[in-house]
Amino acid sequence: MGTLFVAGLNHRTAPVAAREQLALEADKLREILTDVFATGVLSEVMILATCNRVEVYGVADAPGEARARAFRHLCQQRGVELSGIEPMLYTKTDAEAVQHAFRVASSLDSMILGEPQILGQVKEAFATAQSCQTVGPTLHGLWTKAFAVAKKVRTETDVARHAVSVSFAAVELARKIFGGLEGRAVLLVGAGEMGELAARHLVEQGAFPIYVASRTWSRAQHLARALAGTAVPFADLEATMATVDIVVTSAGAPEPIIRRDAVQRVMQLRRSRPLFFVDIAVPRDVEAGVNELENVFRYDIDDLKQVVDANLREREREAQRAEAMIRNEVERFAAGRRDREVVPTIVSLRERIESIRQAEVAKALSRMPDASPETRQTLEALSNAIVNKILHVPITKLRESSRSGHGGSWTAFVHELFGLRRDEP
Amino acid sequence: MLFTLALIAYVLATGLALTYLIQREEGLYRLATAATMAGWVLQTIALVARTVEAGRPPFWSFPEAVSVSVWAAVLLELWAERQYRIKALGAFVLPVVVVLSISKTVARPDIEAIAPALHNVWITVHVVLALLGIAAFVLNFAGGIMYLLQERQLKARRPGAFYYRLPSLEALDRLTFRALTLGFPFLTVGLIIGALWAGRFDPLIASSAVAWVIYAFTLAGRAVAGWRGRRAAYFAILGFAALVLTLGAGFLMPGPHGS
Repeated sequence: MGTLFVAGLNHRTAPVAAREQLALEADKLREILTDVFATGVLSEVMILATCNRVEVYGVADAPGEARARAFRHLCQQRGVELSGIEPMLYTKTDAEAVQHAFRVASSLDSMILGEPQILGQVKEAFATAQSCQTVGPTLHGLWTKAFAVAKKVRTETDVARHAVSVSFAAVELARKIFGGLEGRAVLLVGAGEMGELAARHLVEQGAFPIYVASRTWSRAQHLARALAGTAVPFADLEATMATVDIVVTSAGAPEPIIRRDAVQRVMQLRRSRPLFFVDIAVPRDVEAGVNELENVFRYDIDDLKQVVDANLREREREAQRAEAMIRNEVERFAAGRRDREVVPTIVSLRERIESIRQAEVAKALSRMPDASPETRQTLEALSNAIVNKILHVPITKLRESSRSGHGGSWTAFVHELFGLRRDEP
Repeated sequence: MLFTLALIAYVLATGLALTYLIQREEGLYRLATAATMAGWVLQTIALVARTVEAGRPPFWSFPEAVSVSVWAAVLLELWAERQYRIKALGAFVLPVVVVLSISKTVARPDIEAIAPALHNVWITVHVVLALLGIAAFVLNFAGGIMYLLQERQLKARRPGAFYYRLPSLEALDRLTFRALTLGFPFLTVGLIIGALWAGRFDPLIASSAVAWVIYAFTLAGRAVAGWRGRRAAYFAILGFAALVLTLGAGFLMPGPHGS
């Protein structure tokens, strides 16, 4: 059984200039996988190449040599000097490699903590390696477990939960105020790109209807069509505000468009239903004092960034919990792997002794043709008891040896001692 | 003994629920729920045992009645937590539960069960309705506090622990309002029966009438002027303060509610 290892570079060890040099298309990736596998240095191999990492996962007797082979192929393929990227490479083996794989799949090693794409990318890389038939039992076991761990991290921690972009932070805030967004009316003021993006996110969450106001009537109409909304004249801003729940502004006028006294009048018409202003414009479109009014919440671009920062800190807190979960899973995975190491030996040992026992019992019985059923039974029981008593200690010792990490030498010894055949995995 | 065990479980649940609010560890939430349920079961057994032992309903003395209202409040909390999916609810209801549970230790030691001469079906109805009303107003109060905390976070534009833990303002406002509409009819009818039955002035009736006026005002404000959110939350706290005064009066003053 070879050593499991991962070797590669990521956004922490290599600048984007180096990462983009190694970027691979799918069919090139297949070619490299097949070529590297054909060298026979690795018994299993998979390559994960995204814009933030290029990593080789493999099983080899000599991981150092395997790493050199794999990256030489990669560099040749892309026309890059291996010596240039050599210092950026890291290598992890055994339990550390398992931990790395679990962390990558769970998005704890991502540039943006908890970003959801990486799991799909890993699954794709695994499928590619499978289709090239370079995956064996070790990598199969590793990734099946890694996908399960990633799912567990996602559902049991909030590491991927809170918004890390300004426009999604606005949507999340709207939910904290209104609960669900279904049927919440939105007014978009101005035709800025960020405002449109925020409005789109709101629409995706079920916000309806959408009103669009802009100083230029044609632009309002154009944007209204794009958002399946209604254009309203700029002069009707105040009247429209009285009917909507969320106002997104990105007009970028030199002076605030929405003044405190106007909002105060609007709030009286609204019978204190809450009103949420998302002001993405710079300079700002909504007067700051508006936030002091009862049931009015006003967030400008800096406020939203502050929320994003808090969310990122929240993700980091959750990541610590996820790391603890992963350490646990690595432990269990390693234990299972070690058990697998000695189980075949235990099975063949038992089979070996059992066949001797059966042969000897048959021999003895053939010499006693008149033996009563009781005698036969006694003979079976006696031989079984002897076999079990003798095997008890060796089997216990073998299991213990696997737990203490010496399974390899023990199994070899037992094979030698009992003359067992070695089944190659 | 059983009552003490139940109280210990409630204190434990309170500690766990408050820690959950800060630590945000799911395991703590499950433990807090388990402790709450254990406390409630223990209290149920204790109440049944007392009923069997005394051969009468377990709420014919004022401290006993408070104990039953705590029982109802915990049941309501466990239900609302699931119904409204507000995992933080326990952290706000349980402290009130513990304070109410402990409060009977400050009661006049000479308080005894209602004299047999006063036994009739009306007093039972009066007490039961008042108790259910109080349980609902505990929830109303907790909802109001939570609303104010979440609103402050949203106004301050700096998300903290409450922003992440507490549900939307809309959900909190709905919880507060539902609890009010649940408690108000009970309080109204309970109060009318109590007043008719007493037939005279009583500090307890006076102070619960104050609470009734506050709650009535909140409902009217919502119907007529659309008061909701922060204003409704303030009134929920004010109304509950009046109810607590009422309970204090019941514990400390002589009169039909005392002896």
